[in-house]
Amino acid sequence: MWNLDVEAGPIYAQIVRGVERMLANGKMKPGDKLPSARELAASLKVNPNTVIHAYSQLEMAQITETRRGLGTFVREDVNVEGIRLRILQEAALRFLTEVQSLGLSLEDAQKALKKVSPNGQREA
Amino acid sequence: MLAKLSNVTKRYGKTDGVHDLSLELYPGQAVGLLGLNGSGKTTTLKLLAGMLFPTQGQVEVLGKAPRENRGQIAYLSDADNLYAWMTPADAERFMVGLYPDFNLNRYRELLAFLEVPKQGYRSMSRGQRARLRLAMVLARDARLFLLDEPLSGIDVISRDRILKSLVLEWREDACLVLSTHEVSEAEGIFERVLLLKEGRLAMDAKAEDLRSRGQSVKDAFIEVLA
Repeated sequence: MWNLDVEAGPIYAQIVRGVERMLANGKMKPGDKLPSARELAASLKVNPNTVIHAYSQLEMAQITETRRGLGTFVREDVNVEGIRLRILQEAALRFLTEVQSLGLSLEDAQKALKKVSPNGQREA
Repeated sequence: MLAKLSNVTKRYGKTDGVHDLSLELYPGQAVGLLGLNGSGKTTTLKLLAGMLFPTQGQVEVLGKAPRENRGQIAYLSDADNLYAWMTPADAERFMVGLYPDFNLNRYRELLAFLEVPKQGYRSMSRGQRARLRLAMVLARDARLFLLDEPLSGIDVISRDRILKSLVLEWREDACLVLSTHEVSEAEGIFERVLLLKEGRLAMDAKAEDLRSRGQSVKDAFIEVLA
């Protein structure tokens, strides 16, 4: 569910992305409680300070809030649609970069997307 | 600051175990002490534990010589060094007699979490032995925890449990120094990594800083040693 990779940048940022991804794909919902920093650190086998850092970033990004004595929760007013769109745009940018590195055009990219998607295959 | 080495050299005959080593350790840190065999990891830990005296330089733990602050230092040796007849219950009596800071409740919780069997040390597997010895050390209310290769030569389930218990027992007022050459498995729990090369400090870095440059601790380790 978290897929940490020590070669893929700081761990705190990967935990932040993990929460955003779970919100975007519906595995986590507004109002849900996050595991305590200590619990998550133990299950990921990472330093508790790293999780505390990730949680403070999520709070600054207005994704979560801390309720005194109760723990960390996803905010009810979290902008799930915005997060989902941003993750999609990031993926699109990675795809486009790959397309350009192959010397291909946007049109080729669109064709490739249609071809690999189940709907595209039905059309073909 | 919790502990400090100032220009410490430890000589064995004609060779230096560590050479002109200076470093400071702070509360709340989990420090990975990395290096190849013979790079000075065990010597550094024993100097901090007061089990070796420096040939030159000074070692301080909470402002005193380590020997005067033994109650604040919990040391796990890399040797398989418990009495063969000892069961976890015997070990408990042994530790209570030796260390006033030994926390019985935490010891029993750790034995349960680490799934240490109740039998004698002699009939335990290597992994079970390592888990028992770790529980004995982590159950102390010390400030400086020095663990020499707690992960080496044991099964993957034991290593997983040990890493998890280190995270669960982590305390903001204590500093944990763990030596290992199994870098990748443990690297997530380190906040800071010290890399020793031939008795000298070749790198002192924050693990997350290395990763923000796209390097894992293991990558940095290989780069410095190559």
